[in-house]
Amino acid sequence: MLKASHITKKFGQLVAVNDLSFHVEKGEIYGIAGPNGAGKSTLFNLITGNYPYEGKIEFDGKDISGFPPHRIAKAGIARTFQIPHIFPSLTVEETVGVGSRFGAPGGLDRKHVREVLRFVGLDSERTTPTGHLNLLGKKNLMIGAALATKPRMLMLDEPMAGSNSKEIMSLMDLIRRINVELGVTIIIIEHFMKVLAELTKNLLIIESGKMVCCDAPECVTSNPKVIECYLGEAYAECS
Amino acid sequence: MSWKRMAAIMAVFYAVVGILPLFVGDMRFVMHILIMCLIWAVVASCWDVIMGFAGIFSFGQVAFFVAGAYCSAMLAYHLHIPPVWTILIAGCFTGVLGVLVGLPCLKLAGPYVALVTFGVHMTLTPLLRGKIGIAMGSGGATGLLTIPPIQLFGWTFSSEHLVPFFYLTFAVTIICSAIILIIIKSFWGTAFLALKDSEEFATSLGVNAFKYKLMVFAITSFITGVIGAFYGHYVGMLSTRMLNLDLFCTLMVMLVVGGIGQFPGAILGAFITVTVNELLAPLGMYRPLIMGALVAALVLLLPEGVIGLIRSIGSMWRQNDPQTIPSS
Repeated sequence: MLKASHITKKFGQLVAVNDLSFHVEKGEIYGIAGPNGAGKSTLFNLITGNYPYEGKIEFDGKDISGFPPHRIAKAGIARTFQIPHIFPSLTVEETVGVGSRFGAPGGLDRKHVREVLRFVGLDSERTTPTGHLNLLGKKNLMIGAALATKPRMLMLDEPMAGSNSKEIMSLMDLIRRINVELGVTIIIIEHFMKVLAELTKNLLIIESGKMVCCDAPECVTSNPKVIECYLGEAYAECS
Repeated sequence: MSWKRMAAIMAVFYAVVGILPLFVGDMRFVMHILIMCLIWAVVASCWDVIMGFAGIFSFGQVAFFVAGAYCSAMLAYHLHIPPVWTILIAGCFTGVLGVLVGLPCLKLAGPYVALVTFGVHMTLTPLLRGKIGIAMGSGGATGLLTIPPIQLFGWTFSSEHLVPFFYLTFAVTIICSAIILIIIKSFWGTAFLALKDSEEFATSLGVNAFKYKLMVFAITSFITGVIGAFYGHYVGMLSTRMLNLDLFCTLMVMLVVGGIGQFPGAILGAFITVTVNELLAPLGMYRPLIMGALVAALVLLLPEGVIGLIRSIGSMWRQNDPQTIPSS
């Protein structure tokens, strides 16, 4: 569904993403992991058109390289951010409405907005100003607004960051439901291996913008190269 | 605030203003102040839309106002085009000017937008007073002294008869306020707010930042240009003195008094500021001092302006009202 070929992004001397190629199958949950500063979030920002880059990204067979972010959204790719982004001036329903009005094909669909609010469990807080929500609420809202654009692919940037185990369970359940019930392909950046192991079918490990390996989670975690990039050479030799 | 409450505040306020000439219609001085209040209310509202709602720190509002005034006055004076048309042409001119100023601002962050837009303001004085301005017919340092008045359906509206002119201004102001209210409460307004709060999130949801930012520049500078042109035909003479800092500061005071991003606060702010400014006239040179102190006190006591005050009184009143307390 999403095919990236030889993507490279340089910020001055720093090569944030280095000749990366990968393929995301339709309907799967695809994991991306790697140490801090590996270029995971930059990769997301490239896919969503926030920066120019070298290489080519195809979505559903259509070349989307060089599209600005709002056109990527209209093409069917939605995303969330690592740090919750919200609109303090708007209410919960208005925020989800923004996604529906501007991102969905066919414009504002009030019925769909209500469905999305129920789906992410914010139906009772429709008129609440978004600033009053707690962290989990804000994350759910961000996902809700993304879903309101009727995406075919959803990209989640560290959705579990800063959450306790109960919240992680609830978010994992939500992600699984989005994948199964709504049939949305998901790419997820995450640090918790347990979360990735449970959710994903394929896991891409990157370090310094380069691919280390890409395999099923259980194979990835026992790969010496992965252990090396996370824990150092000594541990890799021990295994 | 819901659009119904915004419209209600505006309706009550304009209804009160609309009947004032019945009592003060023969006092030229008061009528002139009322007309100026209406004109500044539109300018302040436009500034509120771009700064308070879209979060773009555009400091070019006075420049668009003066550009609109000069454009319309020069067309009417030199080419003898009826002012009704020149006012609309001036609006289109400042609208295009707004887009041109807005283009370089798209890639800039907050304070730099203020610098660019204020730069436009600063260049206008030497441009209008200098050789280029004189060649275009701006009248140079003297300015334009005999701008033809507005003629509509065979009637002449000028500063000779202030009551008819007041009602013409009144109608124009209401139309402009209604347009602004509709824009704010439409999905355009939602896009402005979303882009202000988080441009990254908004664009990831499909909001076209380029389009909506240019749109806010175009709309606000169009309306400001129209009302500026209208002002020129009212006072009948123009000079670059309007570009001095005092008018700019007074406009900013209107916005602060009314509450930034608290439409229709800017309208109330304009009336309060113009009135207080006139009442303080006997203080002479101490007027700016007192005005500044008032503003400082107001910012500290009422950070959301008079609209914030009205809202807190409203919620206090609702809490004390026994009927609205749940029976449980």
